[in-house]
This record gives sequence, C-alpha cells and structure tokens, in this order.
Amino acid sequence: MKRAFLITLNEVRLYLQDKGDLAFSLLLPILTFALMYGAFGGETMFKTTASIVDEDGGIYSQQLIEKLDDIDGISIDMLSAEDAEAKLERSDILLALFIPLGFSDNLASGDKAELIFKQRGNGGLEGQILAGVIRSVSAEIDQEFQVLHRVESNLEGESISASEIESTVNNLLDAERQQPALGVTEEVVGGSADFINQYLPGIITMYVLFAISMSARTIVEERRRGTLERLLTTHLNTGELFFGKFIANIARGFIQTLILLILSYAVFQIFTPLSFLACLVISLVFAAAASGLGMIIAAISRTEEAANWIAVVVTMFMVMMGNTFFQISEDSVLATVGKFSLNTYANEAYTTIIAQAGSLGDVWTQLVILAAVAVVGLIISRMIFRAVPGSK
Amino acid sequence: MAEEFVVVKDLYKSFKDIKAVDGVSFSIEKGEIFGLLGPNGAGKTTVIRMLSTVLPADKGEITIGGHPVKTGAEAVRSLIGVCPQDLALYEDLSALDNMVFFGRMVGMESKEAKDQAMSNLKLMGLEGRAKGKVGKFSGGMKRRINLAIALMGSPRLLFLDEPTVGIDPQSRNHIFNNVQELQKGGLTVLYTTHYMEEADRLCKRVAIMDGGQIIALDTPYNLKSKIGSPDSVTLEDVFLNLTGRSLRD
Repeated sequence: MKRAFLITLNEVRLYLQDKGDLAFSLLLPILTFALMYGAFGGETMFKTTASIVDEDGGIYSQQLIEKLDDIDGISIDMLSAEDAEAKLERSDILLALFIPLGFSDNLASGDKAELIFKQRGNGGLEGQILAGVIRSVSAEIDQEFQVLHRVESNLEGESISASEIESTVNNLLDAERQQPALGVTEEVVGGSADFINQYLPGIITMYVLFAISMSARTIVEERRRGTLERLLTTHLNTGELFFGKFIANIARGFIQTLILLILSYAVFQIFTPLSFLACLVISLVFAAAASGLGMIIAAISRTEEAANWIAVVVTMFMVMMGNTFFQISEDSVLATVGKFSLNTYANEAYTTIIAQAGSLGDVWTQLVILAAVAVVGLIISRMIFRAVPGSK
Repeated sequence: MAEEFVVVKDLYKSFKDIKAVDGVSFSIEKGEIFGLLGPNGAGKTTVIRMLSTVLPADKGEITIGGHPVKTGAEAVRSLIGVCPQDLALYEDLSALDNMVFFGRMVGMESKEAKDQAMSNLKLMGLEGRAKGKVGKFSGGMKRRINLAIALMGSPRLLFLDEPTVGIDPQSRNHIFNNVQELQKGGLTVLYTTHYMEEADRLCKRVAIMDGGQIIALDTPYNLKSKIGSPDSVTLEDVFLNLTGRSLRD
C-alpha cells in the first residue's frame, strides 16, 4: 500500500510541475464561476432607477415618491430640472418624471393635478415599464383622494373636522391595503425560478466528470513514457499502480469541484455549513466513481487518442442522459437509459442537498450506487489490464 | 566453472500465430557481460521481458540468482535492474526525483534512495544536474539517467537494452566505462545492441538470435574464428554471415 501512495504522490508532483495544466485546471472553475455569477448572480426580478424632478416639494409629491421607493426593484434618483434635461439630452437617461409646482395644492383642493413624463423616443423598455408603474401608483393616489373627497362631501355639514375625516379615511384605506380584496398569486411553471439551485448541480457534475478523462489518460501516459514497463520490473504490482492512480485522479477531480463549491458558498450563500460539507462528500464519492470508470477506459486503451475519444463519448453520454441541464421525463425510455449515467445519481444527490435542504441520509442510495461504481470500476480495470501484449 | 547466475531453458513465447521466441536456451555466469545480438524482430526484447518478469513465458524455465521467475518473481525483481531501449523517464521531474522515485519502488527508504541517487549521478557524471528537469537534458544525458535509474537498489543483474542508441561518442564511451567498472564490481549484465563493436569490446560471450532462435553462442573471438582470421574478421561480418544481408522489418 505504501507504494500505491508513492504512485499517488508522484502523480500529484507531476501535476504540480506542469504549470500550464495546473493553471488551466485551477482557473477553469474560477472562470466558470464568474460566468455563472454574470448569468445568474443578479436579481431575477425587474430592477430600474426612477429619475424624478420634484418641482413641487409638497406633501403629496413626497407621498408619491415614497410609494415609488417602497416598490421592490425601483430605486429613486432625485434630480434638478437642469440635470434631468441635460441627461435626457445626452441620452444618459431615457425617461424622467417631473412633478410640477402646484401638484400637492391641486390634489388638496380637489383640482386636477398632473405628472409629466419627459422621455427620449418611447423611453426604452425599462422606461415604459417604469411609466406603467408610476401611472399605477398615481392612479392609486388619485383613487384615495377621490374616496376622501367623496366622504368629505357626504359628511358636509356634520360636526366632524376635516382632519378627523382624513384620519379615519386613511386608517380604513390602510386596513384595505393590509387585506386587499383582490390578491395575486405567482406560480412558476417548468422548474424552479432559482437558477442557481437549478444549474449548480449540473455544473458541479460536469467538473467531476473531468476525472473520467484524466483517469483514462493516466496509464496510457505511463505506457507512452516507457515508465510502465519499468515500474512493473520493480516491487510495485499492478494493483498498487492502479490504486495509486485512482486516488490521484480523485484528488484532481475533487480539487476543481472544491474551488467551485467554495466560491458558490461565499458568493451565492446558498449553503449552510452542513449542506456544504454534504456536497463535499457527494463530490468525493462521485469523483471516485468517475475515476473508476476512467480506469476501465485506461485499461482498454492502447493510445492517448483512443483514451481521449472513449472518455469524451462516455462523458457526453453521462451528461446528456443524467438530467444535467434539462429534465428527462420519468416515464420515458431516456429515463431508463439515464439509470446508467452517473450524473443521474449525482444530480439527484446535489439537488436534494442544495435545492431541497436535504441531508446525506436522504441521498444514501445515490452515494452507495456511486461508491459501488468506483469499486467495481477499479476491480474490472485491474482484471482487464495488460501491460504488454501477451502479459497477465 | 563459474557460477551460473541466469539459466534459461527451452523458452517459448508466441503472440497469436507469431513465434517470437522459439526454444531459446542459454546461461549467464555471475559477473559476466553477456551479449544478445540479432536483427530487428529476432526476439531479443521478448526474451528480456520474460527474464525481467514483465511477460510470462508460454513454456520453459528461467532461473535468476537461484529463483525461478515463474514462482519467485518478487525475489527476482529484488535482483534485477532494467535499462530499457526507449527512455523511461518522467521528463517533468528532476533527475534526482526520478531516481528517488524508482529507488522507492524497488524497496529503498527515502534517505537511502536519495544517497544512492546522488552516488549514481556522480558515477554518470551528472551530480551537478541532480535538480535539473530531465526534459531539458540532452539525449546523452537522458541515456545516462536512464542507466542510473536501472542501478537503483544495487541490482545484481542488469538488463541493458541498446543503452547507447542515438547518443554522442563521449556519452557512449562514458557508459562503456561505467558498465565495465560495474562488471568488475561483480555485476552481471545482459547487453543487447546493434553496434557490433560494442559487443566485441564489452561482452565475454555473445548469443546471436534470429527468427526467435539462438543461431550462435560463443565468445566473439571464437565466432570470428569460424569464418576467418579473428584479427581481420569483425563481429559484424559474423553477424551478417549468420543472419543474411536482406533487410528486416
């Protein structure tokens, strides 16, 4: 067993010596993470900035601005009239809301009050959506005033002060806002709205599958270098050679996944410490399964080209059939074929942990299957391996 | 009579329909440099692979240092060192790392392997390049490292499979001198080469193989005497006389 670990150490040393390979394998998960963050790291809901010129400064213009600020996804940028005009002129902004002088007084006296949109062209898509939101908010304010004026008008002549009427109406309106008569429910069709939870398992499994390719080349490279025969004339036996390579390949596949998981943990904050550790365990077992499969390819391949091509085909099959980036219907033939893909079990395990807040106990079946593939792969590869034609 | 260190009796090996080794028998005395010559495809490398435990024989017996290869492969591996024809090195590692790694593989402890690695590098005139990456070495230097690795573990039988192919005369001469020094120290050597003058210079006895069989086995002097005056006939003349002048694959 000591010689097996010497083989592992030698593999790690060779890996560290190859600066190009090392840089590529460490940078690639960081690059993937950066792409993921760019694609999915932002908010999934609509976000925009409302440029507002408040020439009124009254209580009702303030109320309008506060209502807009309370809406999720809208931030307020207060501008002077000159700044707003200049920005519109330069197309720095495509739409600005002007609240004219007298807005609050007109509303208070029951006269017609208006808001002005100044825009370049049609204001752009964001501008049109923002204008719709502002119209909706101003309509709400208008209705509240309508209610207040109607109540005041009906109670004219009664000995109730205007302030008392306004206070009562506002309280009733607040109560209505807390429990509106008309509600809205969101239903997401075709998968989780949370893209990180949906795609992260697939991206992780892709990286672990690199272990297949690395494992597939490892014995062939020894053969190409001429060191394989030399090793077999020492006290190292073939079983130790395979085991040492197997462990080294798991380590290489796991390191890249570890980088990806750490970055995801730190930035997306979708893990708890326990779920993070659980994902590490899944990654380790999955890397072992991929490595076992890779060792079988290594045992049957005579050249590096053969090893690479077989590994590519196997990896593609695993990815396509394994629910990696799209769901396969459970009753379909593809789902049955998918049972032969390592990704099926790995993705199920990751999804259970990441998206469904499960634990390792919930994925023990998947872990056992993957571990079995690792062990069987190692045994079969050793049995079918021939160092030189005609050897045992 | 000197003690026989290697005994090969009626060795056979076929690959599908091709008889690579077809009834080969010979013995090597302890401390002897024994030459194994033959054209390409004669079966020399197959013989070496069987002796070095990489390939099992279909039939026949091989005994090395009193240990049968068939049942005592582990014991045989303790006695042998192999310098293959093709370079067998990790080019991304240093000379020292290569040698220590293979030293550990033959059962040496870390410090012991390091010490012997430095000693072997000194023997090869490469002690100043111990930390240098093997990939940056010249062809001659790589061949010397290749040989130095074969000496890790202080083997008693050394297989040298065309150790001087494609290298400069200085490196070649250095290897000859090293081999002769090692032989004087008691090392037994099985030496294969296409350079007849090497075999003539180094080997006490020479076996000439062709078509999987040994067609001649004797001292270079005696072989030359069979076809002419040993002073004017070369071993190459003997070789061509026995194996013919037609091209081989």
